[in-house]
Amino acid sequence: MITVEYSPMPGLKNSLPQPMLPLKFINGTKEVSTYALVDSEAAGAVISTVIAEDLGIDWQKIPGVGGFSVGGNFISHAAKIKVRIFDEEFGLNVNIIEGVAPYKAILGQRDLFQRAKIIFEGYKKVFHIEFRNYN
Amino acid sequence: MKQKKIDFVKLLKGFKSGWVGISTDHKKVLVHGETLKEAKLKAEEKKLDLFFFPAGERYDNFVG
Repeated sequence: MITVEYSPMPGLKNSLPQPMLPLKFINGTKEVSTYALVDSEAAGAVISTVIAEDLGIDWQKIPGVGGFSVGGNFISHAAKIKVRIFDEEFGLNVNIIEGVAPYKAILGQRDLFQRAKIIFEGYKKVFHIEFRNYN
Repeated sequence: MKQKKIDFVKLLKGFKSGWVGISTDHKKVLVHGETLKEAKLKAEEKKLDLFFFPAGERYDNFVG
């Protein structure tokens, strides 16, 4: 079980810290280490076009599919990469979304939440991750 | 194992745009570039393994 403290984020004073996770996205020989929001309300993983391009993904050649969120409609482009979180590495289906802001990487129900038990303790400003054992 | 707080308020203070490269202990910004590509190039030149994050964003009004 890994305990992760919530991260204070820039914005208004007294804004809530957020559950952020350091990780590495991997696409073949290309890698980028960054931080993702762990979002239990997100259906699946999201990365920005900037991160996709850094990973060598020509996302403009991938057909777009319409989606919607509380913020409105968007077009996403699907790709499969890998992600390494602490000592765990697994395949990750990501939605590449243009102009995604402010978070450039989000993990959600179809990926991290299938791989690990996640317990949020917002009142303690921590969350816990326990990866499933596949042996 | 415990991952201590990563304080993006402190880390990103003074950076209004671009991308920063953050040390693997998540405590210091070691490079800055106007783009992710530029920040990664600077890290490679210094042979640094860093975590990259955008500067200049506001996170207080996000609804996921």
